[in-house]
Amino acid sequence: MARKILCVAEKPAIARAVATHLSGGSFQTHAIRGNPYVKNYEFNFNFGGSWGDCTVTMTSVIGHLTGLDFERQYKGWMSCPPSALFEAPVHEDVDKDKLPIAENIRTQAQYSKALFIWTDCDREGEHIGAEVRNQAKNGNARIEVKRAKFSNTERAHVLQAARQPVELDEYQANAVAARIELDLRIGAAFTRLQTLQLQAVVSVLKDKIISYGSCQFPTLGFVVDRYLRVQNFKPETFWAIKVTLKREGKTVNFLWRRVHLFDRAAVTMMLERCLIAKEARVTKVNKKPKSKWRPLPLTTVDLQMMGSRFLRMDSQTIMKIAEGLYTKGYISYPRTETDQFDKAIDLKKLVEKQFPDSAWGQYARDLIDGKFRTPRSGRNNDQAHPPIHPVAWVSPNQLNANEKKVYEFVARRFLACCSEDAKGQGTEIEIKYGDEFFHANGLIVLERNYLDVYVYDKWESSQQLPNFEKDETFQPTEANISEGKTTAPNYLTEPELIGLMDANGIGTDATMAEHIAKVKDREYVVPNKRGTGRNAVEELIPTRLGIALVEGYDNVVAGLPNSISLSKPFLRKEMELRMLEICAGTKSRQDVVQQSLDMYREVFIHTQRRIEMLKVACRKYLVEEAA
Amino acid sequence: MSAADQIIVQIQTSKGLCVSPAWLNNFLSSSTQRNIPASALTKTALFRVLASDFRESLSRNSTSVLPNDVYDPNIRERRLQGPIPVQILDIEDIGASLWSQVEAIERVERGESIRGREIVRTINVGEDAEAAENNGTGATGNTNSSGTSGSGAHRLTLQDSAGTKVVAIEMQRIEGLTLDKLSIGAKFLLRGVIVARGMLLLDPGCATLLGGKIEALDKPWKDGRKARLLEKISAMEAEETTSNSVRSR
Repeated sequence: MARKILCVAEKPAIARAVATHLSGGSFQTHAIRGNPYVKNYEFNFNFGGSWGDCTVTMTSVIGHLTGLDFERQYKGWMSCPPSALFEAPVHEDVDKDKLPIAENIRTQAQYSKALFIWTDCDREGEHIGAEVRNQAKNGNARIEVKRAKFSNTERAHVLQAARQPVELDEYQANAVAARIELDLRIGAAFTRLQTLQLQAVVSVLKDKIISYGSCQFPTLGFVVDRYLRVQNFKPETFWAIKVTLKREGKTVNFLWRRVHLFDRAAVTMMLERCLIAKEARVTKVNKKPKSKWRPLPLTTVDLQMMGSRFLRMDSQTIMKIAEGLYTKGYISYPRTETDQFDKAIDLKKLVEKQFPDSAWGQYARDLIDGKFRTPRSGRNNDQAHPPIHPVAWVSPNQLNANEKKVYEFVARRFLACCSEDAKGQGTEIEIKYGDEFFHANGLIVLERNYLDVYVYDKWESSQQLPNFEKDETFQPTEANISEGKTTAPNYLTEPELIGLMDANGIGTDATMAEHIAKVKDREYVVPNKRGTGRNAVEELIPTRLGIALVEGYDNVVAGLPNSISLSKPFLRKEMELRMLEICAGTKSRQDVVQQSLDMYREVFIHTQRRIEMLKVACRKYLVEEAA
Repeated sequence: MSAADQIIVQIQTSKGLCVSPAWLNNFLSSSTQRNIPASALTKTALFRVLASDFRESLSRNSTSVLPNDVYDPNIRERRLQGPIPVQILDIEDIGASLWSQVEAIERVERGESIRGREIVRTINVGEDAEAAENNGTGATGNTNSSGTSGSGAHRLTLQDSAGTKVVAIEMQRIEGLTLDKLSIGAKFLLRGVIVARGMLLLDPGCATLLGGKIEALDKPWKDGRKARLLEKISAMEAEETTSNSVRSR
């Protein structure tokens, strides 16, 4: 038998890109039966090492091949009490629409010596790789299995990955399997419970499925929490002392060290004591170099946050576009937690690739001509992918409007990382006036450096301060009391929500955008535009149903010792931490599934017992208030 | 010198407090244990004094109490030689809005002060923590409108041994003077304190924190704190509405 290697990628576009690189552009394309998207590409390639010269069939799946579901007798909503779903038997089956793809892999495996997995290098990709492996082994039990380690589809990188295969990471695949089982059981149990119970009490919910997801709910929780903070907010008056001095034709405003106080009598007394003192004394004159640091290498969370802030797209759209750019080989894999560049990466070479660009090409040239700096290193490294960076230059004509924006952001961010910090001169003047201290700050930007390419950051010179000598005294031109009011926080925006999910351990960088899209889909949250034109911001507002669910679940556990509401991030956060333990090999999939189920089962029992709380909240918001 | 006299002298010299002989005798006769070493007895007595109501436990003379008109807002400034022992009846943070303090209490009520259960509620979009620090855009340099200036400054209601009450403002940071560390009924000794417009101006130079608390006042004060804050907020709102309606007329 001739040496034949079966390669399988996660998506058809990656299969095509890899096939193009490995074959040098000459391959034969064969359609497969039953699926119009997946193609088999055939060519020859020399893998080197023990495999050497081989014929290759490169094909792909389309995401996960299999799905997990309950046995048939548990599928009906009335078939069993929802609590039974915590234990009901489940089984994994190839999805109906994926059957031809699985068949293709089994058939191809029969004629192959080895299977070479090219799924994306992240947790999901590892699990999809395991699914592919299972199908291949069904077709050919003796097939050898290897995995390509790659983070972009640039030619040299792909060739290197082909010649240095690694093993499939079972731990990561198991973590995903555990997550899938937990999501299915917990999601189905709570969804059935709350849907059946709430449909019965509120007529507007009669035909609605009220879905529960262990990420969705804390995500909704953040939106509701902020909404209620805005709604409940009480403005209060505060007072501050403002001191001004006219000198050298400039007016200096000194700010109070206490910022402001909420006691008018006290502030009045303090001002009087300033006025009695007549003279203010300069206690500090600090001139020091200031810098504004260049940004850290780009992670997924940052791309989503900054992207939805500056590019005015929602996070899910940004991720879709970024994935498209990755598949086409323009940027590296966009799902990464890493904010440090590996020393082995030739950053200058990547900078050089940006030379042809008409907007930032000259900037890239300047970097190579001496201005290049090694990027700052953040604290995160997922050991799988480098920070998001451009791997090849693409002419803007080849991109649509949104693609252009995302590519430009990734490119500018990368060049900014490789630049010098912005430099300036800061002046701080501190004075003592009566018993009180005041200060004035000045800034002169001397070198813009990275700011020239990273148009998203602002750092500007302030008004220049007149000269002051330490210990000199002067009589302020004016000192008086200013009055202000506290203002409510703003409703949550999507970039903030992503930041909060990240900070509180909800979802992985790869799934956050999905969870946000889901709470919108479910009509728990609606986006609302505030402001107009360039200043328009999209805010997230919970619906009545959204508020009712959060309040209901909070009340279910109110007063119970050590019980945590489903609207809070802790349960999910703990689950995510256990996933990491599976990945590290310190806990087994079974242990994690059991422990996490126990945790949620406890809340489930409370919810069942105190279901009245949920009903009351839904009646309150959906019947009484809506009337 | 009797044991009681010795204790009075010792507390006078170490803490500047003039214990009432009648109160002390009452304390000594109520202590059931015999043959306690003098030093231990003094310690216990001091502990009891700090846990007592100064109006009962101290003897008074003209320099150890506040003037009757101490609250007079017409007097611009005067200095009280003292030493004057006082106890704390109320403490408020005037650097933070009432509402932000209510929110903080509610976070504790929801169990979010427990380790591992904290929730991050606000986030600085677009800058990593390190850079924010360097660039001075972190929370500290930020005059936000959410109601906290972070610089504290407390307003206290103090009471002397004659029962006279006065408002005091913490003009300079006093170690140990925080809402969660200090108890109601805790004691201060004031030496050379300045009174301006009816407010005592406290700083570490004139106010020595002796510690202690009055249990009977402290617990109800803590339990009722949120309700009092909310009451003040509604009073403020009501005032706002009336003054607005007056203006609109």
